[in-house]
Parts: sequence; structure tokens; C-alpha cells
Amino acid sequence: MEYANLRRQAASLKRSLFDQVEDLQDEASPNFAEEVVSLFFKDSARLVANIEQAMEKYPGDFNRWDAHMQQLKGSCFSIGASKMNNECTSFRNSCGQENAEGCRKSFQKVKREHAILRQKLESYFQLLRQAGPARTATRSGGK
Amino acid sequence: MVSNAQGSPVKAFIVEDIRVCTFVLSAMLRMFNCEIVVANNGKEALDFFLEGKKFDIVLCDKNMPIMSGPEAVKKIRALGETDVMIVGVSADENAMEAFMSAGADVFVDKPMKIETLETMIQEVMNKKNAMI
Repeated sequence: MEYANLRRQAASLKRSLFDQVEDLQDEASPNFAEEVVSLFFKDSARLVANIEQAMEKYPGDFNRWDAHMQQLKGSCFSIGASKMNNECTSFRNSCGQENAEGCRKSFQKVKREHAILRQKLESYFQLLRQAGPARTATRSGGK
Repeated sequence: MVSNAQGSPVKAFIVEDIRVCTFVLSAMLRMFNCEIVVANNGKEALDFFLEGKKFDIVLCDKNMPIMSGPEAVKKIRALGETDVMIVGVSADENAMEAFMSAGADVFVDKPMKIETLETMIQEVMNKKNAMI
């Protein structure tokens, strides 16, 4: 029962996250999804820091802010992080309008979604580890 | 299922500056037994062609440092590289127009779907096999 619950919780999280990335997982690359996610968070943490620094050091340089956010947005696509992607788009729109306050608000939302995503994915992989590999029912031999 | 009854594996060239995108795209290409080379920006990609390297398919991002995807595509075509299938891959608005006017054969929205990639790889393989 416990196992089934854990698998259900993991499946529910998975549906909201990154089906295609997991489709690339196989026996040769059993941890592919986790590797992708790990790489994403390494890159995205750096990109978020770059944006923060750019906003502090180059106030009003919307082209520079936009260029950094563009990279983060591209990264979000690779793991299907749609909510974070939407906030990145909102930030870029504010850059286009040269709306510094809009950029600041959007950036806070980007960071929030980034933190939520990290938490969700950590929970997801933790659930998977707890649930173990998927089992299939087998009928024992004999009559 | 991609089939290649004869001939060498497809030589795929990824031109992309975002590591996680390269990682995922490489995994997809490996599913189809492609040989993979990676460049991190348009200029690096152009340098490969200037060195005489040949590829069957190029999967090129739009926005990259030093040289953009469409700019690289234009220069690659100007070298006389007309046989290679060049695919522009981007989530940006106006990316399709930029790539197609630069000389790309196909444009695909990010994220690339496995089924879309499979179709393109099969097309490249059919072309390679027809030339044998």
C-alpha cells in the first residue's frame, strides 16, 4: 500500500513536470532525468545570479538584462519548466517596455518559481528513491 | 523507428550555448545512433565548416554569444554547404523568419520533440542511402 502511494505521488508530480525528459531514460542511462535536472539547477542558479548582478551593476540596461534572461528561459524549456518560463517571458516583456519596476517584480516571481521547482523536483526524486523501481506482477508457476 | 539498412551513422552537429539543452538533444540523437559534435556558438560552428568538417544535419539555436544562429547559417551556406540539412531550433518569436531567410531548411520550436527529430533523421538517412 505504501509503495503504491509513493508511486502515485511520484506519477502525479511527473505529469506536471517533464515527461519527455523521462522518456529519454533507459537501462543505459537510468539516472538521466536526475542528471538533466541537476545540470539545469547548476546552470539556472548561475544565470539567476548573473541577472541579479546585472540589475544591480547596470541599472536601466534592459538589453543586458534581457540577454541574461533569454538564456535562463532557454534553459527552462529543456525540462518543461513552464511556470518559470512564463515568468521569464514576463520579465522580457518588461525589458521591452523599459519598465524597471515590472522587471523587478517579474524577477522576484522567477526566483520564487525557481525555488518551488527545485523543491518539487527534489521531492519527486526522493519519492522515486523511496518507491524503488517499478514492480510488475508475476504469476508463480504451478497449478 | 529510424531504419538505416546500409551506410554510416548520421553526423549531427549541435550548435547551442545552453548546456542542459545540448545534454537533452544529445540524448535524443543517441537514440538514433547519430555521431554528435557540439559547438557553443555560431562562430565555433562556422569554424568547423571552415576546417572542412562535414555534417548531415545541423541543429542550431538562435540566440548565442559571439555569433547568432541565423548569422552562422547564412555564412555556412555562403561557403557552398548546400547539402547539409540545417534546422533552426528556438523558442523566440521571429526565429522562424530569421532562420528561413538565412537559408535553414526547417524550423522547429523549442523544446524539440523526439518524434519531430526522428522524422528529420529518417529523411537525412533516406537521402544518404539514396546516394550510395
